[in-house]
Amino acid sequence: MINIANMAKKLEGHTFLLSANDLKTGKVLFYTSNGWLPELNKAIKIEKKSIEKYEKLLKIDEENCLIVSGRFVELNDSGSIKNLRDKIRSSGLTFKI
Amino acid sequence: MYKYSEIDKKIVANRVKQFKNQVDRRLSGKLTEDEFKPLRLMNGLYLQLHAYMLRVAIPYGELSSKQLRQLAFIADKYDRGYGHFTTRQNIQFNWPKLPDVPEILEELSKVEMHAIQTSGNCIRNISADHLAGLTIEEIEDPRPWCEIIRKWSTFHPEFSFLPRKFKIAVTGCSEDRAAILVHDIGLRLIKDKGDIGFEVFVGGGQGRSPYIAKKIKNFLPKKDLLNYLEAILTTYNQLGRRDNIYKARIKILLNELGIEKFKEFVEENFKRFSNKKLILDKSTIKNIFKFFKLPSLKPGLEKVPEIKNSLFLEWKNQNVLPHKHPNYSIILVSLKSNEKPPGDASSIQMRKLADIADKYSFGEIRVTHEQNLVLPHVENSRVYEIWNELLNINLATPNIGLITDTICCPGMDYCALATARSIPISQKITDHFKNYSHQKEIGDLKIKISGCINACGHHHVGNIGILGLDRKGKEFYQITLGGSAKENASIGQIVGPSFSEKDLMGAIEKIIKVYKKNKIYEKEDFLSVFKRIGIKKFKEKLYDNN
Amino acid sequence: MIIIDKISERKNEFIELPDEKLSKKTSLENCLLNLFHWKEKKKEIHEKKIKVALKINSDEELIFGENDLRYIKMIQINFLNFKDGRPFTLAKKLRKKFLYKGEIRASGNILPDQFVFLLRCGFDTVEIKEMEKDTWLELLEFDDGLYYQP
Repeated sequence: MINIANMAKKLEGHTFLLSANDLKTGKVLFYTSNGWLPELNKAIKIEKKSIEKYEKLLKIDEENCLIVSGRFVELNDSGSIKNLRDKIRSSGLTFKI
Repeated sequence: MYKYSEIDKKIVANRVKQFKNQVDRRLSGKLTEDEFKPLRLMNGLYLQLHAYMLRVAIPYGELSSKQLRQLAFIADKYDRGYGHFTTRQNIQFNWPKLPDVPEILEELSKVEMHAIQTSGNCIRNISADHLAGLTIEEIEDPRPWCEIIRKWSTFHPEFSFLPRKFKIAVTGCSEDRAAILVHDIGLRLIKDKGDIGFEVFVGGGQGRSPYIAKKIKNFLPKKDLLNYLEAILTTYNQLGRRDNIYKARIKILLNELGIEKFKEFVEENFKRFSNKKLILDKSTIKNIFKFFKLPSLKPGLEKVPEIKNSLFLEWKNQNVLPHKHPNYSIILVSLKSNEKPPGDASSIQMRKLADIADKYSFGEIRVTHEQNLVLPHVENSRVYEIWNELLNINLATPNIGLITDTICCPGMDYCALATARSIPISQKITDHFKNYSHQKEIGDLKIKISGCINACGHHHVGNIGILGLDRKGKEFYQITLGGSAKENASIGQIVGPSFSEKDLMGAIEKIIKVYKKNKIYEKEDFLSVFKRIGIKKFKEKLYDNN
Repeated sequence: MIIIDKISERKNEFIELPDEKLSKKTSLENCLLNLFHWKEKKKEIHEKKIKVALKINSDEELIFGENDLRYIKMIQINFLNFKDGRPFTLAKKLRKKFLYKGEIRASGNILPDQFVFLLRCGFDTVEIKEMEKDTWLELLEFDDGLYYQP
C-alpha cells in the first residue's frame, strides 16, 4: 500500500491531480468535483498547500473500498501532466493493438 | 500431456473457492489492500498501470488445443480479445476486472489450468526446455520432473512466504534452451556412468544484480530431488534477507555466504530434514512419465518436400526443426510479427492455432521462454500445408532466432514498475529489419529488451540487451553486449552512456555494422565475433563523435 | 484476544510481562517470558526444573542448549509481519530437529488465510482477536486435507 503520509513529502511540483484505480475494474480514475471519474479533463487541480486535505480523502475512499493505488499526478507549468508514466496512464497504450 | 488426477482437480477447485472468498472479503472491506495484495499475487493477479493483470500458469509451457481455446474464450469474454505469452512460458491477460477473476479461475479449472503461484514470494511456475521430449540429443524428458516439482511446490506450507520470488527451470539437454543458469535453481538431467540424475545450479538471476548460477551439486540422484530442493529452500527461507527487497533473492544470500558455506547449510538441512516420504521411488516416477509419452507417430517422408515457393522456403529454413522421429518436424510459430507486440496473440489466432494443432500436431502446443509457440509433432509431408494455414492468420513470420525475434517485457505501456517503454522499441526493430534476407545476413542474434532494471525482458542475457531508463523524465536506453542465456551463459557488458529513443536505432545499426565488418567467416554469429573482438571496437564506433 | 486451535477456543493462560527485570516474586510458570527474561532466568529455571512459556519474535534467532527445551511448555512465535515466512521453517525445525513436543503458538500479524499452513508446519494454536474468530474458522473449513506434500 502506498504510504500516503510519506507521499506529500516526496512531491516536488506545485500543482497536481489526484488519481487512483477503481478497486473493482482497475480503471484509472481522477478526482473531480463529482467524485471519482475516468475523465481527465474534469479532474480538480490541487495546489501543494491543500495536499493534506486530499490525502485524507484518499485514505477514506481507500478504506471505503472505492479505489486503490491512489497517487498525486504532477502537472507542469502549462497545466498538462508532467511525467511519461502518468501520461500513458491517463491516455492509454502508445501503440495499436 | 499430463492429465489431472482427482486430487489435482479438487485442489484447484478448492483454490477457486478460496480466492472467491478472498475477493469477497476485499470488496467488502474485511481485507485491506495491504493484506489482500500478497494473497492476490499468489494467485497471479497484479494491479498494473491501467487495469488488473492476471497471469495464468502454463506449467512447463505445455498447452492442449482445448486449453488454448479456453484461453481464447477468456480473452474474449473477460478481456480485450488477446493474451500475452511471457518469458516464463505463462500467459497474461491485461484487462480483467477484480469481481470477474474468481469466475475466470473457474473457467480455467474446467480445462485443468490455474493461476496459482504465478506471482508472489513463492515458488513460481516451473519452466522447461520447449523442445522437451522432441530431440535426439536429449538425455531425458524434463517435463515429468517439472510436474513432480510443480506438485511438491504447490501450496507448500513452509515456502509460501519466502523472502522473494523463486524460479526453477529444468532441461534434459546439454544445449540449454530454458535459461537454467539465470534461475534461482537450474536443473540439468545428466548421465553419470549409466545413471541419470541432476546437475544442480543455484543462485542465478537477473534484475538489478545479475548473476550466473553456480553449481552446487555435480550429480543428484533422482530419488533425492525433492529433499534436496527442500534443503535449498529451507536454507533460503531461514537466511535470505528480508530487510531490503532488492537483496532478498537467493542469489544475494549465496554471494554473501559464498557457495561453499551456502552448500554446507544445504547439506546440513538435507541430512537433518530429509523426509522419507519425499524420496521418489521408481514407481512414482514411472507413473508420471506415462503422461509424457510421444503420441503414436507413423512412418512417412524422410524430408520436408522442397516446394518452389521462396516465402515457404524462407520459413522452412528458419522455423522448422528436425524431430527425433525422422518423418516428423517441429514447427516454431513466431509471435514476433510486425503487427503485434512480441508475445501477443489474438483470440482469433489462438482458436485457429488450436484447430491447426488438432489437425497436424496431436492437439499439442508449447510456449517458449522466447515468447513463441511450438507445434511439436508435424508430419514432414504436411509442413507446406500447415505453413499455408499459419500464413492465413499471420503466424508464419520467418524469424526464429533472428534479430527481429526479440524478447520484450510489457514496459511502461502496461507495467507500473517500468521506467521506459519497450514494446515500441521492439516494433521499431521489427520494422527496421523486416527484410528476411537482411536478417539472414546478420544471422543468429538475440535482442532482449527490458523497460526497467527488474529485467523481465532478459536484457542482461541478450546478445544485444536494451534497458529502458528514465532520465529526467525522458526515455533513454542503455545497451549491453555479449550476454547469453544458453549453456555458455554470460551477463552482457554495458557499452557506454545510454541513447535517446531517437538515437537508439542508429546505435543498433552501428553495432550490426561492426559485427558484419569483423566476422571472419560467413556464418560466424554475433556472439562469437563479440567474444573474439571484445567491446572496444563497438564502443569506438558508437561514440566516435564524442 | 483468544487462543484457538483446530477445534476449540480458550482464554490466554499466560500473562505477558513488561520488558524489564523480573522481580523475585514473579511466578514464572504463569508468565510469557521473552528472550531477555529467558536469559536472565535460565539458570533458575534449570535448577528448579520449572516449565515456562517463551515468546520470540519472527526476526529473532532461537538458540537453545541441549537441555533447554524440556523446560519450555509453550513457544509463542510472534509474527512482526505476516509476509515474514521464517516462523514456518522455525516450527519445522523445532519439531524435526529438536523433536520439541510442547505447544507452538503463532501470534502477531497473521492472516486467517495462513491458518492451515501454520498447522501443517507444526503450530498448534494461534492468538487472535475474538471478533475475527468466525473468519478463522470459516477459512479452516476450506481445508479438505488434500495436499501435495506428505
